[in-house]
Amino acid sequence: MVGPSSSHTAGACRLSRVARLLLEEEPVEARFELHSAFAKTMRGHGTDRALVAGALGMEVDDPRLKDALDLARQRGLGFVLKPKNMGPEAHPNSVAIHLKGPTRAISVLGASIGGGMIEIREVDGFPVSLSARDPCLLLFYEDRPGVVMRASEIIARRGINIASMEVLRRGKGDEAFMRIDLDAPLPPEDVDAMKEMPGVRRVHVLDRVAGGAPIT
Amino acid sequence: MALNNFADLLIEADKTGRALDDIFLEEEAAERELPRDRVFQVFLERWAVMKDSVRRGLAGGKSFSGLVGGDARKIIEFTEGGDIAGGRLLARSIAYSIAVLEENSRMGIIVAAPTAGAAGMVPGTLLAMAEERGFDDAHTARGLVVAGGFGALIAAKAELSGAAGGCQAEQGVGASMAAGALTFLLGGTPRMSVHASALTLQNTLGLACDPVAGLVEVPCVVRNGFTAMLAVTGAQAALAGVESVIPMDEVVEAMVKIGEAMPRSLKETADGGLAMTPTGCRIRNELYQIR
Repeated sequence: MVGPSSSHTAGACRLSRVARLLLEEEPVEARFELHSAFAKTMRGHGTDRALVAGALGMEVDDPRLKDALDLARQRGLGFVLKPKNMGPEAHPNSVAIHLKGPTRAISVLGASIGGGMIEIREVDGFPVSLSARDPCLLLFYEDRPGVVMRASEIIARRGINIASMEVLRRGKGDEAFMRIDLDAPLPPEDVDAMKEMPGVRRVHVLDRVAGGAPIT
Repeated sequence: MALNNFADLLIEADKTGRALDDIFLEEEAAERELPRDRVFQVFLERWAVMKDSVRRGLAGGKSFSGLVGGDARKIIEFTEGGDIAGGRLLARSIAYSIAVLEENSRMGIIVAAPTAGAAGMVPGTLLAMAEERGFDDAHTARGLVVAGGFGALIAAKAELSGAAGGCQAEQGVGASMAAGALTFLLGGTPRMSVHASALTLQNTLGLACDPVAGLVEVPCVVRNGFTAMLAVTGAQAALAGVESVIPMDEVVEAMVKIGEAMPRSLKETADGGLAMTPTGCRIRNELYQIR
């Protein structure tokens, strides 16, 4: 990895990279709100560069990470970093990331919990629990019967085991959210099949963003 | 990892007579559903990056802030001149550990062990020992497997960041991992390795994270050299049969509780300790007002 801090540089980069992967297009605007220890040592620990690097899609061992602020300016990514007190309960290394692309926007709230490991606590307002260490699917869909079954059927047909899963909704019949951690990545054609399921709005794939480089 | 704690690890080692690296490699291979030799290959690759980070660190200049850089080379040059306070192994362990952190302060590529701010002790002490004893990479990388396994067992119970646990949770853990690995490489029993780790960790408890100007430079860089010495001390004592009265799992628990009890100002906020001394404040002011 590129330092100087595994939690404040590598972890920050990964949190922002998750947001970039969920946005699924080149961002033009990035807003970062940093809590407590994240805000206090932001410049010294390279957290600013790391967050911007992640928004540009960089990995934690990318030597360009240290030039991320200049690279962002070259690529036309506008960014703002500012401190925000998230209260005494929030993890000291918490950051809220808001990315905007030409056609969509995404908000991610997460914490860097040491040694480059991360926890995503919120995606677009849904309270989630996501470590991004395993291959993972995120589904946004209309709350209606059968979606969970159809999604798990596609995974089962491929012979892949579901490690863990969470299902949430804003309200009955409103927008719903599903996180599925898998023991192996789901092939793209199956992901496409999921996108075609009735009521499904979007499906995101995160493949071991925070699990170290996948070993093959 | 299926192993839950150090007590389980020692039971497994006693029951089967297997070496620590063997146990950890098999665990990791099973977890990732990969052949063991592929997993070991990754450790060899990491070891190569670690050695290279020592080399780059010794060759490099100042950090961006200008506060650190060049100290590792100073120690090596002094040592090669024959003026050694603590012997060549100690001098190199200290210098190499500092070198990695100097490279880190320039945002060069390093391997977190367990974190970036504590990346020095494992490669620094293992490389110094390998040179002293003529260990080849294949043997030394077995020590790295043990260091990694110990780190994973600790991380299962404790968050390894200065923000959550202070410096004890970073450099204390890094030194503790190194102590276990050194003991293993020198032919110690699994029990000796765990005691080396416990002795080292307990002697860093309470260590604050108070980085000047919020950089990972002062005191972090030089401190990696100092805690490297603790790792060598831990290995030396454990190999001689010294045991930790408090078992390793309980030392880890104590570290977590101390981390919780520490004020925020001493946990990576640069709001206390060395960061708030008159000189620390002056450096911060100069650094951020000029730029």
